[in-house]
Amino acid sequence: MKLAGKPELQERLAAEYALGTLRDGARARLARALRGDAALARAVAEWETRLAPLADAVAPVQPPARVWQAIEARLPAAAGSGWWDNLGFWRGLGLAASGAAAALLVAVVTLSPQPPAPAPAPVVLKAPSNEMAEVYLAVLADPKTQKPLLLASANYRSDQLQVRTLDPAMRVSGKDLELWALPAGKAPRSLGVLGAGERATLRLASAAERSLADVPALALSLEPTGGSPKGAPTGPVLAVGPCVKFW
Amino acid sequence: MSADPLASLLAACARRDRAAFERLYRESAPKLFGLALRILRREDWAEDVLQECYVRIWDHAPEYRAGLSAPMTWMASIVRNRCLDWLRRPNPEVIDEEGDLLESTPSDGPGPLAALQSSREGLVLKRCLEALEGKQRQAIALAYFDGLSHSELAAHLREPLGTVKTWVRRGLLRLKSCLEAG
Repeated sequence: MKLAGKPELQERLAAEYALGTLRDGARARLARALRGDAALARAVAEWETRLAPLADAVAPVQPPARVWQAIEARLPAAAGSGWWDNLGFWRGLGLAASGAAAALLVAVVTLSPQPPAPAPAPVVLKAPSNEMAEVYLAVLADPKTQKPLLLASANYRSDQLQVRTLDPAMRVSGKDLELWALPAGKAPRSLGVLGAGERATLRLASAAERSLADVPALALSLEPTGGSPKGAPTGPVLAVGPCVKFW
Repeated sequence: MSADPLASLLAACARRDRAAFERLYRESAPKLFGLALRILRREDWAEDVLQECYVRIWDHAPEYRAGLSAPMTWMASIVRNRCLDWLRRPNPEVIDEEGDLLESTPSDGPGPLAALQSSREGLVLKRCLEALEGKQRQAIALAYFDGLSHSELAAHLREPLGTVKTWVRRGLLRLKSCLEAG
């Protein structure tokens, strides 16, 4: 929607969006345009503020208790502070990461998807072409069920992190999956937002031997479209797992 | 705006403070439930929408910008927009048990407009709405409180679509200049 340089049209659409009279198609287009257009977002907010006394004038009604119960049930499980602030969580991961890469691979092989669906597809990591697989490997699993949900690998000299998601069911429309490096004792660092496909390649800040050297674990979270607006995970954590050197 | 207790609760929600979120819910839910009920006119729908909207408020709390709108305005807009989406679903079971949604819609009789004097902004808005022509006022009230789109307004008011669009557009323009004049 091109509204730049058309202040009158922008003002009219903002007013009609705030009032709610736009048709479905136009409403949806405007809602999308709002995300990238600060002037339009401001114009809509001003109209919402002008009309706000109308909402105030509606008599309040106490909702039944089940509404709050349902809301609570839908929030991410972690109570209190975020999992990424939790030192115990860190230490646990550090321990896990110190285990041998072999154990990791065994885990991949043994933790095949639970219900014997039409012959569980074997999880295979393509070995890099050089004989010694000098790679960083990460296997991220659902913290509750331990089901593996994501594999990531990068050659130690490469800045390309190859990512493969194992379960399309974790995708939610209108949300994106974002992968995080969890450096020991530091704040999570975004590695990027995954696209819609099963496989993705994320660009690391530098070669894996540098950028992943201090990263004992990775995590995957569900974020608003385009990734967390805060630079830190905001959504539920779908999967976590150790990131280890394999050579 | 900084004195608004909802603003600090919302800021705490942005830091993922669950206790603050529960307080935010206790403080704001009756108002927002009343609003959803007014627009949807069905309690089960209003409960579903309220539930979705609070999950959304939690998810999007980090995006709330205090400089743009007051917390209640921001949250009410989330609820109104979700109500409108709900009413305009591809296959809405529009006809509820109590009868046709449109037929049961009160026109601009007393109702919420009469309750506007509860705040200074409300009084000013009421005065400006009263300064509009009857049809303009009715169209704006129906759109706001009953979630009617341009074409639904045209059907409800039995007027051509173009005419109704013009009422709404002119009504909003006059409303804005009246509000800006104070």
